[in-house]
Amino acid sequence: MITALTGFAILLLIIVVVRVPIAFAMGLVGFFGFAYLQGLGFDNFMDFRWNGALSMASKRVIDTAQEYSLSVIPLFILMGNFVTKSGLSQELYAASNAFLGHRKGGLAMATVVACGGFSAICGSSLATSATMAKVAMPPMRKYGYSDSLATATIAAGGSLGILIPPSVILVIYGLLTETSIRELFAAGFIPGLLGILLYLLAVRYVVWRNPASGPCGDKLTWPERFKALSGVWGVLTLFIIVMGGIYLGIFTPTEAAGIGAGGAFFIALARKSLSWASLFDILTDTGRTTTMLFGVVIGALIFSNFINRAGLPADLLAFVQGLEVSPMVVILVILGVYIVLGMVFESLSMLLLTVPIFFPLVQSLGFDLVWFGIVVVVVTEISLITPPVGMNVFVLSAVLRDVKASTIFKGVTPFWCADIIRLILVTLIPAISLFLPELLYRN
Amino acid sequence: ETTLRVASWLPPTHPQNAVVWPTWSKWVEEATEGRVKVAIEYGMGHPKTMFELVEDGVVDASFSYHGYVPGRFKLTQAVEQPLLGTSAEAASVAHWRIHNKYFAKAQEHDGLEVIGLFTHGPGQIHMAKPVSSLGDLKGKKIRLGGGVQGEIGHRMGVTAVGAPAPKVYEMMQQGVIDGVFIPMGEQKSLRLKEVAKNVVALPGGMYLGSFAMFMNPDFLADLDAKDREAIMSVSGEKLSAMAGKAWDAGDAAGLEAAKEAGVNITMVKDGDALSKEFVELTKGMDEAFLKSVADRGVDAKAALTELREVARNYK
Amino acid sequence: MALSAWITAHYEEKGPVAWLAFFLELIAAFTLFFLMALTCADVFGRYFLDNAVDGTTELTEMGIAILVFAELPVVTWRGGHVVVDILDKMLGNTLIKVLGLLAAFLMSTSLYFLAVRIYELAARSHRRGEVTEYLQMPVGYIVEYIAVMSWVTAGAMITYGVYRLLTTSRD
Ligand code: NA
Ligand code: NA
Repeated sequence: MITALTGFAILLLIIVVVRVPIAFAMGLVGFFGFAYLQGLGFDNFMDFRWNGALSMASKRVIDTAQEYSLSVIPLFILMGNFVTKSGLSQELYAASNAFLGHRKGGLAMATVVACGGFSAICGSSLATSATMAKVAMPPMRKYGYSDSLATATIAAGGSLGILIPPSVILVIYGLLTETSIRELFAAGFIPGLLGILLYLLAVRYVVWRNPASGPCGDKLTWPERFKALSGVWGVLTLFIIVMGGIYLGIFTPTEAAGIGAGGAFFIALARKSLSWASLFDILTDTGRTTTMLFGVVIGALIFSNFINRAGLPADLLAFVQGLEVSPMVVILVILGVYIVLGMVFESLSMLLLTVPIFFPLVQSLGFDLVWFGIVVVVVTEISLITPPVGMNVFVLSAVLRDVKASTIFKGVTPFWCADIIRLILVTLIPAISLFLPELLYRN
Repeated sequence: ETTLRVASWLPPTHPQNAVVWPTWSKWVEEATEGRVKVAIEYGMGHPKTMFELVEDGVVDASFSYHGYVPGRFKLTQAVEQPLLGTSAEAASVAHWRIHNKYFAKAQEHDGLEVIGLFTHGPGQIHMAKPVSSLGDLKGKKIRLGGGVQGEIGHRMGVTAVGAPAPKVYEMMQQGVIDGVFIPMGEQKSLRLKEVAKNVVALPGGMYLGSFAMFMNPDFLADLDAKDREAIMSVSGEKLSAMAGKAWDAGDAAGLEAAKEAGVNITMVKDGDALSKEFVELTKGMDEAFLKSVADRGVDAKAALTELREVARNYK
Repeated sequence: MALSAWITAHYEEKGPVAWLAFFLELIAAFTLFFLMALTCADVFGRYFLDNAVDGTTELTEMGIAILVFAELPVVTWRGGHVVVDILDKMLGNTLIKVLGLLAAFLMSTSLYFLAVRIYELAARSHRRGEVTEYLQMPVGYIVEYIAVMSWVTAGAMITYGVYRLLTTSRD
């Protein structure tokens, strides 16, 4: 326990103070921590058998870079990028804005709804945030929204991307626990809608406290509203292709990513919104995001090898089991652990680190693994906007070069509270997540 | 006191982790009078990586499926060839003996100390819809794991779909695949009883799957001579037989679970039309195997003959 | 000429580095497009031609590695990896640059030494004749590629990456 916690402390120090990129910091701490557990000390630095730790790290790099199931990451992101390029995300935003924009904080509310809609075709929260940042930030600035509300809305709304299907994170959870991915997708739907609803309330709360942070936009007439609505068919078509294909068993969720990207490519072609240069941009932009994500995954895996060897998962498990309390309290303790870990971990690495530790325990307590998956994803969403390491916030500050991460974190608090409320609801009322899978697949 | 770290990759409930490693660990502790303790570690990576993790001392021991590293392991396919017709236990013992007598010198396990060899139980046909002849399988979408079963599938003219074993359930459920070739135990452990309601069990199955258990040579060298000998005394043939037996028991449990779930199981007997069809289908596979290992510098033909003799006469 | 002008306009890098970035990203772009087309062809083939594309899984696996490691040098030298910047307001500009140099040094050295081991593993894989299941492609080539691209990343980071760090002012 002490070794692992020291490792955590050093990791935090070098990512926060020394500003080493997270991927490399996790890899380095994991590597040296592992070597330390294999007997590395100051006295034997020169004649230490380095090959063990080096091979461990090398194999993580080699294997992860060639992991078939991770192909969903570039392909779902690519789908999102094609969709953005063909103007579908603008249309989504325009449609939401047509109905909500004239209210106080309306543009922010429209952003939340559009994020929800975009999540329904995009597998990744990072892609959702990045896209909506480009679409929603200019109008919110134009109408005098405060940077902290505007960006926090996008960061929070973007976190819906991993819950509303399709979702890269749900795919990985399904792989780790051998749970049906299509049941997970179905289960994520209602909690996703609940998330939208609660975020809308969070926006209302912010503008109630400080009306200047979200002034009203223009009011549109009903014919104008219906016109805006008619632009949403593209998103709808793609959603039906991707989800329908999965539900009807035409392809696997992994393949759905490729089909979705292909479909989005043809929609973009049909709308004549592609040139060679923009196609190149979309592909390379997806490539860069993918590389960044793979870096974090690889770093997290090397770090997890160290944490595992140091015995932290077993210690945590023993701790939870030793409490001798009711199963639901165990779940709440696990969630507490997630929220704490969520401060330092990015969603995917947190999932990779914790799910293999906890799911056998949860299963043995008699809980439904599909339900637990949704609970885990909701708590993971929280980690995306929890400082100091909130990936959505970082992506946003990378896309909007002139906004600091600290500004976004400041605005995120009400949304964080909304997330906690949703977490409590989803945890205590399993039917919220299990209603659809029961209805569709379990009869 | 030394800790021997075993990396494992199947679920903790799988016979390999619930029976084989715990039993061996008890043997090791007894034989070394408690000086060596065995600890299982999960989550170290893909099964194919275990060979190198052990070789480079990342962990001290592990096990893996030879078919995950095509090209490196060819001779191990001798035990996988069709029509052996024995239990996994008998096949495992023969596998171990033949390896040491004929194959070890080809150095396929270079860098590793092999402490046991075993096979999973006979691979059978698990389908969503019933089949009455092997001809019915032509054009069907079947998940294949490669190696000998890949060759069999190819000869049947199936549309091969590649996927890791844990994905089979979902692909069956969705109809992405029509069936899978896999041992009976997976009716229970992969929950195929819910989605693959029709099983055709050929006598002795279609093929076997070859696994190795291995240790890091440096770890062994660093131990006291008496502990090293103690560990080796509870490994080898004894460990191989125990592992094969545990996987057989897994298959029996799978069959039981399948029957309970009302799976339609066709037990084909020797001489039935389906059995004859299969024998016809696999003609020439021995020769193809022997040709593929011609560069290994071992008498594979004699080995294959003796392997079958040992396995079939076991017990 | 049109291409040259486009690259100059399109890339923040200058001269040969811009061409290198373009070349690497071109590989990545081709690979990603291929991955998308491959999945679609595989599904299409399975339903309409009774024949899935043999080795789709293998090609996909190789494709991801090619994609990720083609982009790695560019992402790294541009400082595109995720960094925690919550203390930026407290740290002075000079200190941030010094820390950036330290990070660049750590990243380059660790990648360099890791790649040495990766290259050794590739050689070992070649020596043992490891191939892929369906296509019988030697596994070691992709591993060698990963090692080489890691060296390229390390080299580019410690030269151009540092140059960029020192000359670009933070906006
Ligand atoms: Na989504
Ligand atoms: Na976080």
